Amino acid sequence: MERILWPCRTALAVAIAAGASGTALAGVTVQCPGDQNGDAISDGRGDPDHPNARCVHLGAGDGYVRMADGRPLYMFGFSDLTGISEKKAMDTGMLAATFPAPTIVADEGDELYLTLTNVGMAVRPDLFDPHTVHYHGFPEASSIFDGVPEASVSINMGSSLTYYYNLVEPGTYMYHCHVEATEHMQMGMLGNLYIRPIQNRLPDGTALGTHVHSNPDYNADRNDDDPTVGDTYAYNDGDGSTRYDVDYAIQLGSFDPAFHDASETTQPLPFAYMEDRYAMLNGRGYPDTVSSTPPQAPAENGGIESQPLDSLIEAQQGERILLRLSNLNVTNFYTVSSQGIPMQVIGRGARILRGGGTPDGRDLYYRTSSVTLGGGEAADVLLDTTGIQPGTYFLYTTNFQYLTNNGADVGGMMTEIVIN
Amino acid sequence: MKWTRICNWIAGFCWLTLAVPSAGAAIDGIPGPTFNLTAAADTISMPDGGSVPVWGYGPEGSRSQYPGPTLIVNQGDTVTVALSSEIAVNGTPVPTSMLFPGQTGVTASGGSEGLLTRESTGPDDPVTYSFVARRPGTYMYHSGTRPDLQVEMGLLGALIVRPSQGAGLAYNHADSRFDHEYLFLLTEMDPALHEQVAAGNLDGVDTSAYYPMYWFINGRAAPDTMAPAGASWLPTQPYNAMIRTRPGDTMLMRIVGAGRDLHPFHHHGNNTRVIARDGRLLQSAPGAGADLAYSEFTIKTVPGATYDALFHWTGRKMGWDIYGDAPHECNDGDGDDFDDSTWEYCPDHGEPFPVQLPEAQELAFGGQYSGSPFLGTEGSLPPGEGGLNEYGGFFFMWHSHVEKEMTNFDVFPGGMMTMMVVEPPGTPIP
Ligand SMILES: [Cu+2]
Ligand SMILES: [Cu+2]
Repeated sequence: MERILWPCRTALAVAIAAGASGTALAGVTVQCPGDQNGDAISDGRGDPDHPNARCVHLGAGDGYVRMADGRPLYMFGFSDLTGISEKKAMDTGMLAATFPAPTIVADEGDELYLTLTNVGMAVRPDLFDPHTVHYHGFPEASSIFDGVPEASVSINMGSSLTYYYNLVEPGTYMYHCHVEATEHMQMGMLGNLYIRPIQNRLPDGTALGTHVHSNPDYNADRNDDDPTVGDTYAYNDGDGSTRYDVDYAIQLGSFDPAFHDASETTQPLPFAYMEDRYAMLNGRGYPDTVSSTPPQAPAENGGIESQPLDSLIEAQQGERILLRLSNLNVTNFYTVSSQGIPMQVIGRGARILRGGGTPDGRDLYYRTSSVTLGGGEAADVLLDTTGIQPGTYFLYTTNFQYLTNNGADVGGMMTEIVIN
Repeated sequence: MKWTRICNWIAGFCWLTLAVPSAGAAIDGIPGPTFNLTAAADTISMPDGGSVPVWGYGPEGSRSQYPGPTLIVNQGDTVTVALSSEIAVNGTPVPTSMLFPGQTGVTASGGSEGLLTRESTGPDDPVTYSFVARRPGTYMYHSGTRPDLQVEMGLLGALIVRPSQGAGLAYNHADSRFDHEYLFLLTEMDPALHEQVAAGNLDGVDTSAYYPMYWFINGRAAPDTMAPAGASWLPTQPYNAMIRTRPGDTMLMRIVGAGRDLHPFHHHGNNTRVIARDGRLLQSAPGAGADLAYSEFTIKTVPGATYDALFHWTGRKMGWDIYGDAPHECNDGDGDDFDDSTWEYCPDHGEPFPVQLPEAQELAFGGQYSGSPFLGTEGSLPPGEGGLNEYGGFFFMWHSHVEKEMTNFDVFPGGMMTMMVVEPPGTPIP
């Protein structure tokens, strides 16, 4: 495989008036309020005009992952370039795609600035595909930041596009590239995304119905208040009913190895006969889902660790576990079941499961032992471990043909829930 | 309908103003309460150049169509549907029929006895169905004769019952009020089964070998979904799915799971409130309104089920002025934070666009991009780009999120996909 030399941006491009949208930019350019050096991290106290700015820099390109049966697969995906200088972004992002894509976590009230740099496809130099980020489910969207290439713009190789979103609705979302969606999504440009509610930041001792909110590190300056210290909630419920002790964002996904192999070898892509055979949670099949060490890095990407997330769910008996479930495969509906621990569905579509999706709506929570999600669906599920015997339980798909890794042994879409 | 289009070509934007919004974009279909239908063989055209033999219902004297005519009646109507089968395979007439799931007290007369209902066995053996449309809502109808094959062949359609309280409502409650309504009838096809039928192999066709290759909204696969309704080059697929709304308007989506697979229907732009399922308002008690409605961004559409969902978009709390530098005011007289006519979210009025866009040569442009991030503005685009966005609207993709279904027989893009556009305030929507 040939290494491509990228033209590096050495100076800001000459500003060109581009209609009403201001000056235009060229090359790898991070836009992040308060960031002086282009690494997508606010310096000092940040920008006083944007105190709640949260910045992310992603690379879009290609890479490799290793399936649970040991087989490497070529993929397209995103890599985390946050903290990397603009100058090094192209090199760092090359072949560094991860599956799933870097998880994006932010808080209600944040302004999200996500810079997407197209680092190109090292293995497919014949491809000049642009990429986008589609924030799947963000409400009141504009076309320009929705990431649908037909309806707006997408970014070419060697350049950056910054997406802005004012985060006003907490919930479990997801994100993915929307360019040639069937191909780029089957190839793996998919990730977890969730927004924590402002209720987490209430002062210590605030009454929420009969529940008293705990927030020992409360600080009116939100930058000095860790939203994960004290009580945490899935939504602004007003009564503590979505409170959790531990949360896990788990994305259902699956790959068709024939499609990935065809892409790697520049063969015609089998859309019509696409059949996923590796079903995964957060980019791994069982038993890799419960392994604290990532699958052996594929040699094909130069040994870059590309599957950083396990899906091992752990809690102390009596704790409440929040599962932020999303499905971003492109072929199937999947049902997942939690054996031995009842589920309570408290959210769907990134809204609290109350009438109209509003906190003051009628309670529509329900208890179940399985949740079915098609592609692009999300659900928030509480597992209450009160009275559950310590031990190992399972979260697994009841589409049983997907409890294998391409047909080999037991594996696929399954993980363990360990109650201590 | 009076509107003016004010263009400032120097600044490169157009601004649309309008006095009164039009009420109720209608769903194409035929009004009842009496329908005379014929079932016949025909073909449909696919965007990849293929054609598929189908069986379809059509108005008597017209070609059959896919899907069958959308039957539109009023609550309380005594609906009468007369059906004659003109389908024949190898010269032998093929019986067919109609079922009306969700309707009660359906009577069938004439025709010949069948398993699920009475059937028309040929042109000289018409069957008549009759029922009182008791409850408003979104329903489907389909063949009750060998349904595993005949529904796949195309013998299906939508039935809409309008509520007695009148136009602009989906049900008899204000929670179902809408300004525009659109049908999303979702189906899929395995053309191999159709070819076998067309070849006369009616007994050998194995519907359990079904493997769909085409996916449809209202009988068309993308990009035909966005072509005009009644397009001359799609004579047997008269219905389109070009979805338009305006800021502050409420749009009713009538979704019908008319095929055999589940489809997660993802609507970009905003969440919807799903207010009804299978022709029943999601309410805790009669008169309570849609208090059991849920909010979604992807509607899990199950075969045989219908969903009514309300879509409403304003760009609220986007954090930047959606009209950019175009000269405009935000007048919130009633204190709801929105401009009283344009629905602009006034707290964002005058807020600058938050980022700088790259140079044109670093971007790929979509055909439905206006060249500007701002609503109602047409920016400059490189030659040959854009061009499909007449009013400077915000386009959003609405599609099956089983992205495999966004193809036409191995060709991307296509399938179960269309675009929804939020047009600037005042844009005429029929
Ligand atoms: Cu992409
Ligand atoms: Cu999506």
